[in-house]
Amino acid sequence: MRHHIENRIYHVEILPPKQDTEKLHEDLELFTTKYNRVKESGYCACITDNAMGLLAFQGPEVIEELCLKVEPSQVMIHLNTFHTKANLHEILDTCVAQGIKYLLIITGDGSDRLPKLTPADVGATDVQSVTSVELLRYIAKQYPGKFTMGVAFNPYEPQEHEFAKMERKMAAGAEFVVTQPIIEKNAIVDELLRKYPDVPVIIEAWMSKKLYLLSDAVGYEIPEDTEFDPIETLKQIHRDYPDCGVYLSLLGFKTQYHLISDTWVRE
Amino acid sequence: MKIVVCIKQVPATNDAKIDPETKRIIREGLKAILNPFDTYAVEEAVQLRERFGGEVIVLSMGPEKAALSIREAVSVGADRGVLLSDRAFGGSDTWATSYALANAIRKIGDVDLVICGKQAVDGDTAQVGPGIAAHLDWKQATYVMAVEDASDDSIVVKRMHEDGYDICELKLPAVVTVVKDINTPRIPTLRGRLASEKIEVPVWKPADIGADLSKIGLDGSPTRVVRTAPPPPRNTVTKKISGTSAECADALIKELRLRSIL
Repeated sequence: MRHHIENRIYHVEILPPKQDTEKLHEDLELFTTKYNRVKESGYCACITDNAMGLLAFQGPEVIEELCLKVEPSQVMIHLNTFHTKANLHEILDTCVAQGIKYLLIITGDGSDRLPKLTPADVGATDVQSVTSVELLRYIAKQYPGKFTMGVAFNPYEPQEHEFAKMERKMAAGAEFVVTQPIIEKNAIVDELLRKYPDVPVIIEAWMSKKLYLLSDAVGYEIPEDTEFDPIETLKQIHRDYPDCGVYLSLLGFKTQYHLISDTWVRE
Repeated sequence: MKIVVCIKQVPATNDAKIDPETKRIIREGLKAILNPFDTYAVEEAVQLRERFGGEVIVLSMGPEKAALSIREAVSVGADRGVLLSDRAFGGSDTWATSYALANAIRKIGDVDLVICGKQAVDGDTAQVGPGIAAHLDWKQATYVMAVEDASDDSIVVKRMHEDGYDICELKLPAVVTVVKDINTPRIPTLRGRLASEKIEVPVWKPADIGADLSKIGLDGSPTRVVRTAPPPPRNTVTKKISGTSAECADALIKELRLRSIL
């Protein structure tokens, strides 16, 4: 992952088609276009796993079914704890078969339709429910050497709690960190960088103009009419965090993609 | 084992409006989904086929767009589906619906087991499964939470009731209705979804299943909905607890205990 930062490789989030879509073929075509565009740009396509608990098709199966080419350093799959054990292994086996190397392990968002891994599924005897820590440990044990796994960091959670969790994630085998979106220099992220100077950290940049959509993540209400310039904020993130990578969420492929190649400039 | 799963397409919303004249749900403009309880029925049928071999056939009655729900069931492992769709079926109550479905099951032929979800979330009657068993004069078990065993001529099920559960052995052919404790329905794969788009869903009319027109639709329905009303609003009160985390947790536990929730 250090290679991504040194070579200014953006991490671009792509959402796979939702399960309840009424225009599946159109959505698959759009996914293909975005995936190939990210690949051709030399960036890393980051594919979500039932984001916000909304049922979607899995990234690895979409890549396999559409026969998309995988460059191992250019694909990152999100994987959360809302799966059956059999389904988890199907996803991981498909990743191995496709040559996908990077996984972002998160606890994730559930829903009525989504099953949840049990502690017994992942051989965890000391917990009531499975989090990213147990999932990470399980994958590291079951698929030794197959994946480079990262974890999420939330600077909006109580600091002591979040750093204690980060310790457990690192002990379980995390090799890089992706933060929740920040829109300015953040003291807790700074602390993360101080505590883990050798761990590659990827800052999530919020690319939607609708800043209020971040309200849930940050834990306070952002007014709907808040003005926000994602591209300028992105440039500022690069200035504030020159040694970090950047993860672009909700990037507008039509309106913003062509602008991002000029934003990551070393000063 | 030849298994028929009876499914229903229902409105996806909890905010459905009732037509004041017909007392039926206004379905126009509502997104339709496979009845959530039926997803457990489909999953159980697919698991039984995986254990014992055989075939899973999905059967539904409704407008032509209900074929989408049949395709959804195929995308998670059902082998094929049949749709009963005709104006003459419109307005059927649970008795007329179960009559039509029973006739279709007879036409499919050599069926060992019929599985239904315990009820549909739009009508909440839980009557269609037992109705099918009555029309076919087959054994039935409702509220099944596990299939313990099965053989060529019988099935052993665990059925849930308020005071515990029963273990029942049923001679096949039989009808069971299932509750959501029975399994975890699988999520459709992309491959399954794409394959399901290619299957043909035959549409059967009343004549195809030898249905007596006087026994289906409004004419064949002994039930009349006299009046419908939304449930009274819940009398909820919001109470804010403040203090340190520990104080809030203590206060919350105390409140829950006072209300016998804990």
